[in-house]
Amino acid sequence: MISENERWVLSFYRTSEISGSLFFGRLARSLKAGPIQHDMTKHYADEAMHAWYWTDCLNKLGVEPLELGNAYQDQYLAAAGMPVNIMEILAITQVFERRVINQYAVHGRTHGIHKLVKSTIDRIVEDEKWHIKWIRDALKNMESEYGKDTIDDTVERFLQADREVYEKTVREHQERVGELILK
Amino acid sequence: MSGDDTKIKQALGQSLKRSSKELEDDILLNDLVAESFALIETVINLQEELNIRLVQEDLRDVKTVGDLVQVCAKRL
Repeated sequence: MISENERWVLSFYRTSEISGSLFFGRLARSLKAGPIQHDMTKHYADEAMHAWYWTDCLNKLGVEPLELGNAYQDQYLAAAGMPVNIMEILAITQVFERRVINQYAVHGRTHGIHKLVKSTIDRIVEDEKWHIKWIRDALKNMESEYGKDTIDDTVERFLQADREVYEKTVREHQERVGELILK
Repeated sequence: MSGDDTKIKQALGQSLKRSSKELEDDILLNDLVAESFALIETVINLQEELNIRLVQEDLRDVKTVGDLVQVCAKRL
């Protein structure tokens, strides 16, 4: 069995993975055939699997997932504005994926973590490493079209928004996230 | 309406699963697309269909169908 706070955190991860999957699924449907469509389709499938891993993990821990409202990434748009082209979407995704991998790393190191939670995190982090790599490579390939400076400025804009959203989330859920906060 | 405008509205209609004739210039995009992620999908869809690239400045003041058609037409 796990505490209510842990249940909330794992449900939060699950909701976030579902939102990511739905978003990338829509984009994968819109994009023309090519390397970005290829990798985004895998990314979409990975996020859907991650949501399944968390659902299964919660069930095996003897609890059902909580139904949460907005996912973490929903707040990005309010903080940074809407990404308007594929480069901006990849930039915001890169920032978000870095946040995710860091958050899972902190969680994976917490004292007394349940082995089922740890193994779920380890499984997901392997995919997240690839997510960061394919997006970094795709952004690099876009430098000739958008310009390196524009891409760097866009990533910076979303990094600022990410810091804002993370701090707001921590403030709102301080009691629940406790030692899982990134310093 | 120019040929480009017709082409853009057709692409928009396809993305929104509506007839292009329904897409009057003064309709607010927020009334057509209720949530932000659907709006992003629509904007990306348009760029893919029309083979154009939009940037932040293009969309800064876009509120209506007519505004969106205009900015896309400039990039065609």
